[in-house]
Amino acid sequence: MVAEEDLVAQLKQADTQSKAFEVLINTYKERLYWHIRRIVLNHDDADDVLQNTFIKVFKNIDGFKGDSQLYSWMYRIATNESLSFMKTKARKLGVNNEELHNRMAQNLQADVYFEGSEIQLKLQQAIATLPEKQKLVFNMKYFDEMKYEEISKVLDTSVGGLKASYHIAVKKLENFLKED
Amino acid sequence: MKASNNNNGFKTPEDYFENLTGKLLSKITEEQSVLPKGDGFIAPEGYFDGLQENILRKLDLEKEETKVIQLNPYRKYYFAAAAVAAAFILFFGLNFETESSPTFEELAASDIESYFENNDMELSSYELAEVMSFDELDISDILDNQLNDDHIIDYLDDNIDYLEELNLETDE
Repeated sequence: MVAEEDLVAQLKQADTQSKAFEVLINTYKERLYWHIRRIVLNHDDADDVLQNTFIKVFKNIDGFKGDSQLYSWMYRIATNESLSFMKTKARKLGVNNEELHNRMAQNLQADVYFEGSEIQLKLQQAIATLPEKQKLVFNMKYFDEMKYEEISKVLDTSVGGLKASYHIAVKKLENFLKED
Repeated sequence: MKASNNNNGFKTPEDYFENLTGKLLSKITEEQSVLPKGDGFIAPEGYFDGLQENILRKLDLEKEETKVIQLNPYRKYYFAAAAVAAAFILFFGLNFETESSPTFEELAASDIESYFENNDMELSSYELAEVMSFDELDISDILDNQLNDDHIIDYLDDNIDYLEELNLETDE
């Protein structure tokens, strides 16, 4: 595997750019896809957002100064792209963000690309009720199994704050699942 | 303590002890939380194999759209036509009153709202204070709106570096 600094350097050079971009896509496509998918829930939307994320990364690589790790920077772009995609979608449908998430989570049962059990479906419906930040922190910690330090770099939030958000999110979800 | 099982006639299933630790640990994890592992999402078969190609194609399309198109050899006629059109516009334009630019009052609230939503701008509280007049604020605006817990947590997330530094104990 190519070291991150080398990959960034190759991405910035015209003659090595195309090859390096292919490596970048193949290295991060799955991780970023699942991260995006858990925010936008639907496969087609996730595909759109993922492609836009990579194109944005490619176009803005010159602006990447290496202050953070490449993957944190890409995660951040993917997160922002997903959130603004959901905002635009909600506006087009004339509903607020929370309502859109709830509707989409309720419709998951009919989604051919969702094969979750009843409890997994209920968990998604419960996650949809969380505030945006708690939703992100929970998904990144619980499903992506990211460390608090890594999440902190992506969301630009203190580790202490993230821990509090995560624990509150888990409590809320557990209560939601215990309700019935 | 004696760990062997000599001559007492009892037997355990094959690999019982090898698998025991793993079984116990997963049982403990399951019992600790009612949250299921896994999210249930799947991707279409072969989706990741074709992804790279799709992204590169999309990128090429975007590059093509921004490519400069060469003017064709008939451009001198276009210049002549443009000159005539410009003369007409100038003549009539000077004699008719031009349409005035829209005023702030004419903008629909939704246009302003979508401008703020679509443009990546974050106003600091100082910038907001500059544009918001105190006369328009009522004390009841603050008293009637109860802060909910999530907003407080979000605020603390963004503004406090170490949550532990806050003295959260109330019973002294």
